[in-house]
Amino acid sequence: MDALTTKGLSKAYGRGAPRVHLPGHAVATEVRALEDLSIAVREGEIFGFLGPNGAGKSTTIRLLLGLLHPTSGSAQVLGLDIVRDSVAIRSRVGYLPGGIALYDSLSGEALLDYLGDLTGRPSVRRPELLDRLELSARTLRRLVRDYSRGMRQKIGIIQALQHDPELAILDEPTEGLDPLMQRAFYAILDDLKAAGRTIFFSSHVLSEVERVCDRVAIVRRGRLVALQEVATLLEHRKRNVELRPESSDDVPSLEGVPGVSGLARTADGRLTCQLEGDVGPFLAAIAGHRIADLTIEPAHLEEAFLELYEDAEPDSDDAQTATQAQPPAPTEVAR
Amino acid sequence: MNRALFVRTWRAQRLKLLICTIAIAAWSTFLPVIYKSFGSQMKALVDSGVIPKQLTDFGGGDVFSLPGAIAIGYIHPIAIILVSVFAVGFATSAVAGERQRGTLEVILARPVSRRTVYVTFLVAAIAFIAIVLAAAIAGTLLGSGLSGVASELPLERLPLLWLNGVLLWAAVAAIGLAASVSFDRLAPALGITLAVTVVSYFLEILGSLWPDAKGLQPYSLFHYLAARDDLNGAASASGFAILAVVAVVAIGWALVEFPRRDLAAPS
Repeated sequence: MDALTTKGLSKAYGRGAPRVHLPGHAVATEVRALEDLSIAVREGEIFGFLGPNGAGKSTTIRLLLGLLHPTSGSAQVLGLDIVRDSVAIRSRVGYLPGGIALYDSLSGEALLDYLGDLTGRPSVRRPELLDRLELSARTLRRLVRDYSRGMRQKIGIIQALQHDPELAILDEPTEGLDPLMQRAFYAILDDLKAAGRTIFFSSHVLSEVERVCDRVAIVRRGRLVALQEVATLLEHRKRNVELRPESSDDVPSLEGVPGVSGLARTADGRLTCQLEGDVGPFLAAIAGHRIADLTIEPAHLEEAFLELYEDAEPDSDDAQTATQAQPPAPTEVAR
Repeated sequence: MNRALFVRTWRAQRLKLLICTIAIAAWSTFLPVIYKSFGSQMKALVDSGVIPKQLTDFGGGDVFSLPGAIAIGYIHPIAIILVSVFAVGFATSAVAGERQRGTLEVILARPVSRRTVYVTFLVAAIAFIAIVLAAAIAGTLLGSGLSGVASELPLERLPLLWLNGVLLWAAVAAIGLAASVSFDRLAPALGITLAVTVVSYFLEILGSLWPDAKGLQPYSLFHYLAARDDLNGAASASGFAILAVVAVVAIGWALVEFPRRDLAAPS
């Protein structure tokens, strides 16, 4: 079953903007923040939602939570319609907004109590989350205004997950966390996944998406450009290979080996190339030769991400889709 | 209405509420004392022609009778400011302030509908206003007792006076909340509500002091706060109805507008 589905979900801002404009004033036009988004997030998976600033990530999340109303299309969260059943959806979802704003005049504990009361479900996961994110009872008694950015982010994570939601929507969850806390957070995600919870995860940090997500959707200028398993996305990336033969008389011939491209030889006798797909033919080609050193760099999501964006026009500050913009067709959009 | 939101709102406003309650009670205690001390002298001055007759009906009040002195207390800027702390200040910041700070989305990410949020803030605003005005009534009773004019006070009509005040300020608060749910920033919501309140007050005072401007008074909300008439048994049902209609229209607007609005990410 799908935890979240969208079908042709679109959002345009600026409808009904005046058609007559004064000279010297910026012309207001309809801005399509999200166009025809169709995705399905499976129950129990960690789903990455990627895109640069203004690509439509926050718009999508706000549509799912009922903070925005769709211009067209539909979406269901946990089997409930985002327009008709928004309140019911929010009772089963945990949400961490990007750059969360908190009540500075409350203590951390009072804030978590208040938000827990608003949710109306017991905060069953709070003790465990406090422990794993290393927030002590003493720290919780301090006012939120005295918290560092990282501590605020921890409070944000706890308020989103303390009631053990079936679906957690997390917008830039590791922003402000130190590397140790990031690891603790990834472990929390792993546990949630093991418990069958679904995570919808938006981030700029591609390495962490690669680390924690099962699948990713990439949006560009309001449109979906890719939706794939992280492993599949990486499988088709070219990996940089560097090979140093022990002797210049015993250099493997890599010409014509399937998956190998960009073959070159450096002045000091090293071979460099790019390798795509199955490594078997490459390994077979070098077998029997005496190799002093071999490095195959792992493929990174960053390269896949950049490749999908490399032919994009530069985005504006808010980078939202102008009505006329024609982004490329999605790459292997499939479940 | 949401209990958790109401409790949090109450806790956030309780110090302000305590200060305003004490201040308005003290102010209301003072007015019967003024009436007792200076009422007859003021009447002699007006009768002698030293003070223009127009000044004897400032905002529908006077100092020649206890009901008139109490009425002055209700329309005086001191009382207006004290009640406005909640009817204007709290009401306008309730939603627009949360939105501006970015905390509204933390509330609305919970299973709380926008209408519930609105109704909770409306109930809180009316409760604060009702408490402040009840303190004014308590002050009036205390002042009348201390100055020995309690026998002139029609006790059975005090609830009507309280209701009239609550209706006026509930209408102002409803306008403030309607503005609050309509904007992402506090400044325009506060600006609009303050403008309505100040212009309304100006029209009422101008009409009470200048006979040629009397025709403007019906356009003022404050015209329908008839404290003297309430205490003299001459309360106008139509005045109460007009205030109720203004409040209902503002509430209706907010109940339709707030759920329809797009709440984009804070910039």
